[in-house]
Amino acid sequence: MSTFSSLNTAYSGLAAAKAGIDVVGQNISNVGTDGYTRQRLNTSSVPGATRAGMFSVGVAPGQGVAITGVARLGDASLDAALRAASASSGYASVRADTLSSFEESLNEPGSNGLSAGLHDFWAAWQAVSNQAGDPAPAGALLGSAATLTARLSTIYRGVQSQWGTTRASVDSMVSDVNAAAKQVAELNVRIRQSQLAGDPANELLDQRAQLTTSLAAAVGGTVRDAGDGTVDVLVGGNPLVTGGTARAIAASGSAVLEGASADPVTLSWVDHPGVPLTLQGGRLAGALSVLAPADGQGRGGMLAEAAASLDSFAVTLAGQVNAVHRTGVTASGATDASFFGFDPGQPAALGLHVIPTGVDGIAAAAPGAGGKNGTVADQISGLGAGAGSPDSVWASFVVGIGTASKSEQQQADLAELGRTSAENAQLSQSSVDLDEENTSLIALQHAYQAAARVMTTIDQTLDTLINHTGTVGL
Amino acid sequence: MITRITSQTQLRHAQSALYDSLAQLTATQDKATSKQNISRPSDDPTGTANALAVRSSQSANAQYTRNATDGNSWLTMVDSSLSSVEAIMQRVRDLTVKGANDGSMSPTAKDALASELDGLKENLLSLANTQLLGRNVFAGTSSDAVAFRPDYSYTGTAGDSVQRRISQDATVRVDGDGAAIFGVGSGSVFALIDQISSDLRSGTNVAPRLAQIDDRMTAVLAQHAVIGGAENQVQRAQNDLSGQSVSLEAQRSSIEDVDLGSVILELQTRRTNYQAALYVTAQALPPTLMDFLR
Repeated sequence: MSTFSSLNTAYSGLAAAKAGIDVVGQNISNVGTDGYTRQRLNTSSVPGATRAGMFSVGVAPGQGVAITGVARLGDASLDAALRAASASSGYASVRADTLSSFEESLNEPGSNGLSAGLHDFWAAWQAVSNQAGDPAPAGALLGSAATLTARLSTIYRGVQSQWGTTRASVDSMVSDVNAAAKQVAELNVRIRQSQLAGDPANELLDQRAQLTTSLAAAVGGTVRDAGDGTVDVLVGGNPLVTGGTARAIAASGSAVLEGASADPVTLSWVDHPGVPLTLQGGRLAGALSVLAPADGQGRGGMLAEAAASLDSFAVTLAGQVNAVHRTGVTASGATDASFFGFDPGQPAALGLHVIPTGVDGIAAAAPGAGGKNGTVADQISGLGAGAGSPDSVWASFVVGIGTASKSEQQQADLAELGRTSAENAQLSQSSVDLDEENTSLIALQHAYQAAARVMTTIDQTLDTLINHTGTVGL
Repeated sequence: MITRITSQTQLRHAQSALYDSLAQLTATQDKATSKQNISRPSDDPTGTANALAVRSSQSANAQYTRNATDGNSWLTMVDSSLSSVEAIMQRVRDLTVKGANDGSMSPTAKDALASELDGLKENLLSLANTQLLGRNVFAGTSSDAVAFRPDYSYTGTAGDSVQRRISQDATVRVDGDGAAIFGVGSGSVFALIDQISSDLRSGTNVAPRLAQIDDRMTAVLAQHAVIGGAENQVQRAQNDLSGQSVSLEAQRSSIEDVDLGSVILELQTRRTNYQAALYVTAQALPPTLMDFLR
């Protein structure tokens, strides 16, 4: 043990305390940084030097402190839990938002909804029945029928535009995912290089954890640690990111609701175009489930199913009214006249229109009765009541949407609750606590002062040895 | 695992608690200002189904009420016309009885009787062609201008009547059956009066015609009774419908509208909660160790 080694020991204490203060400083500076994970200086004591030589006797103390690294106090399992919760929350929230804005557009129950339009329509037929052959109630009937078809087509167009918006959001989400995957791959490379060179990579790790969480919220998937500092991101069982390589995904399929059944919206890998990609969670999976085509049993994509229901409502309404209307005689004596018609090449709900343009086209009278007879009009006005009537078809559609929206909303709330609690658990582990940092700061400050004190003591001791040895009594 | 509380998680907790509190306050405020329990189907799917059904019944009820009012005006018109018809028939019968006194009546007097009968017949014919808002009330659903043409032929179709729907499965006949009341063509009351007046002019005894007049009066009275019955039915229906409309509105309101008292109480509670949350947050947040280190 050399004379000056104690000075070095004191210096290592100074250096460790200084480095500790630096880490505390970094923590406090980033107290508000999103995704920052608190860090701690890891140190270990240095044992005494191994003795060599014949005259080395006695005990030797340790040689100070060594800085072994700066640890990032994250928790991989909490990060994974947050990613899983983000994926299911992303999926549920897209579905709940879509249904909730669709049911807003229905305006039910209320005086602006389609059901109110139906009530007016049936009442207008009664008025026609009371004053058959009169232009005034006939005009009112045609007006209320036009309002009814306009409301139906407005709702249908709402579904179309919602589908289109969701479709566009799929494209932008896909490009976000591809960009995030590319960034994760780049970070993988930098982290591997830093770790090989022994440089700190904690801040890069924070950035990568944030990106993988946002990837999970978008496409679900799992993150696997490859062991060399890089992570692999797996989506639908296939790697999206492996080490420094990122693959790209692409969305294909119809851009409009009408084409969805012939050409459904799907995801695939850019480097394997034919292979479909099935997602387990995330906003993109939610959007794709919303865009799926109708399956004829009510279990397809919610927007396509809603559009199909609107179409079948239009067909029911037109079919029932026309069936009775055809039995009547118009003011001009014509029989077998239809009241509602469909534009060819258009969805039924959009193409539904009123054929008569005036009182002459309305078949209110029963055949063989007088010109002012309104029996058929009265029969049509009675179509609104009973099972299978357009009113009950519409009511069950509205109630179905309401029930579905309520349950989707509850699922989304639950998933969001899960995500929040996962995020809180993750943050409680990784976030910076100012009290804790302040305490460390005080401890480190004292450690620094004490190490300096040790150095001063050694200095004074050596001063005694060097300058005062042999000067007795002077 | 013991949850580590840091200033950041504490802040987040406080923030999310404030957010929840404010969200509840806003939801209650919406409810209080819109006064609607169900503003969208998912608020209460079952309630929505009931609300749609009640609104449908309300709309039907309103239309039946309009139908009944319209039917009532038809029946009132028919009723008053028939009263006039009966008065005229009575006068016709009186004149015929007078004309049957062959011995005491001079041909001039009989001629005067015949002229008055001609006038009465014109009155009857115009009563038979009574119109309401452009429709003949005694011609069923005919679209002709008159119920009885000058040759006494009837323009209505047999068995085709004017009906008003006063409930989902009940209709009421609101027109007078012209054929039954006045008779048709040569069997009509007009032809009968013409016959009497020509008999008077030609000096034939009109006494045998009295039985025919009585038959006709019986027919008119019978139809008048039918109209009276229909009027009763319509008025009962009007009472029922107005009662139903009140109870339907009460049903709709109980489903769709909020109980204002309870919602205002709820609003006040939530507002107090929010203020308390704000106050507590303001008190709890600031202190860190820094505040005490000097």
